[in-house]
Amino acid sequence: MAMILEAKGLSYAYPGGVTALSGLDLGVQRGKRLAILGPNGAGKTTLLQHLNGTLKPSAGTVHLDGTIMGHGRTELAAWRRRVGLVLQEPDDQLFAPTVFEDVSFGPLNLGLSEAEARQRVIEALNSLRIADLAERPTHMLSFGQKKRAAIAGAVAMRPDVLLLDEPTAGLDQFGAVHLLAVLEKLQAGGATLVFTTHDVDLAWAWADDIALFDAGQVARQGRPEEVLADAEALSRARLKPPFLLELGLKARQRGWLGADQPLPRNRSDAMALLDGI
Amino acid sequence: MIACDRLAHTSRWRTRPLAEKALLSLGLLALAVTLPPAGGALVLGVALTAALAAGTPPLALLRLIAAPMAFILTGALTLLVEIGADGIHLSATGATQAAALVLRALAAVVSLLLLAVTTPASELVQGLRRLGLSAEVAEVALATYRFLFVLQDTAAAIHATQTARLGTTGWRRRIRSTGMLVATLLPRALDRAHRLEVGLAARGFDGSLRTISPTRPAQGRRLALVAVLLVSVGVTGAWL
Ligand SMILES: Nc1ncnc2c1ncn2[C@@H]1O[C@H](COP(=O)(O)OP(=O)(O)OP(=O)(O)O)[C@@H](O)[C@H]1O
Ligand SMILES: [Mg+2]
Repeated sequence: MAMILEAKGLSYAYPGGVTALSGLDLGVQRGKRLAILGPNGAGKTTLLQHLNGTLKPSAGTVHLDGTIMGHGRTELAAWRRRVGLVLQEPDDQLFAPTVFEDVSFGPLNLGLSEAEARQRVIEALNSLRIADLAERPTHMLSFGQKKRAAIAGAVAMRPDVLLLDEPTAGLDQFGAVHLLAVLEKLQAGGATLVFTTHDVDLAWAWADDIALFDAGQVARQGRPEEVLADAEALSRARLKPPFLLELGLKARQRGWLGADQPLPRNRSDAMALLDGI
Repeated sequence: MIACDRLAHTSRWRTRPLAEKALLSLGLLALAVTLPPAGGALVLGVALTAALAAGTPPLALLRLIAAPMAFILTGALTLLVEIGADGIHLSATGATQAAALVLRALAAVVSLLLLAVTTPASELVQGLRRLGLSAEVAEVALATYRFLFVLQDTAAAIHATQTARLGTTGWRRRIRSTGMLVATLLPRALDRAHRLEVGLAARGFDGSLRTISPTRPAQGRRLALVAVLLVSVGVTGAWL
């Protein structure tokens, strides 16, 4: 499988001495959804900031399409054109007086004309369903609205890879479901998605690939049914297997679900399984 | 300033072109300064009517007027008395002079407030930018504007958690809590600034904060209407 983005042997310590990454390896498959799963303080945010060149590792390299990426001015600009990042905290990203102006910032930096940029902004606002907030000041929004505005700011740049730090945290149930749908549409258009989370159920429901974080390294990376069924590795990272995965495995054990049939990944899968018993 | 901003964002005239509002407000301001006192009363009336027509809540407007009024009144008080060889006594012409001063100053304040409560500060800066303010200065002003609100939110959050944990009951604790709030705010602000930089860099920040600001072209007809209004206020005011 072709890797669009790769990290090899990344190490990083914050000034002051906290070691956040120690020799981390990670591969991001083109066109897939990768979940970076780990508890609070594991180093997920630190890793994402390496994947777009914000932080420079003390050792190790980041590869984009097989090329080692440097941290010079022009290289970083090229890097960020292709790899977008949405921060955990939307206030760290919104700076312009209104939502529309804020979202227009990235497209203009891509060198687009004002008319093209305007088109991109309108599209991004529509796809995140915040067109009605366009003229609202960024400091008079709820957290979830700020979050969507921040995501729109990255989406409007149409990056090849979109890195999202805890994208669903702080969104209501409907907002989260809707956001995932927006991201799926982006993926259908060819984008690769990387998101961090400590929510194992979200990772199980939605990821194609899982990287499990532990002690500054990726302890395991692989298909969800392999990584998320590894209760031992999960518990080392202070996490538990997802409920629906456990339910599916139990059903297989009891013979209610064939070994070749897929495990339930969402509510309707689980309901269908129960109906079949 | 923050109260003004909130009013401006919710004003009925928020989306009106800046040129129209600026012409009306600054025109009234010029008239307030130049017309005789009776004309000042007329200007005051027009400015107040306009502010209320723009949907400014009367109470909020009063509150904004109150602070400069305190200064104006103390200034006017000194006109009421006269210090002569035989001590301090009430001035004969003082009362009319003081009334004229108050009227004129009040008219000027409300004229200027008319712009402040209908136009967010960020839009004023963008307007100045079109008039030739340098991009660098405009960007610093806009960044400061944005930061003011982030800082205010942070300060409000810290104050709320201090209050929730009984940190603001009793003056001794209140002073201590306020000290801690101020001490926390600076490193927080620096941290915020740093993280904002990361966020901007991710979107290709190259040193300039370009965005598409909404353009609201002024309509010649409406500008002419405002000019006619100003001229008629000026003529009537001078004749009164
Ligand atoms: N600016 C900083 N200065 C010093 N240490 C930091 C800084 N930011 C993070 N750390 C430390 O680095 C480690 C990794 O932090 P990171 O923010 O990457 O974790 P995370 O997995 O994103 O956690 P969370 O789920 O809470 O967001 C933690 O031990 C944290 O204390
Ligand atoms: Mg984090």
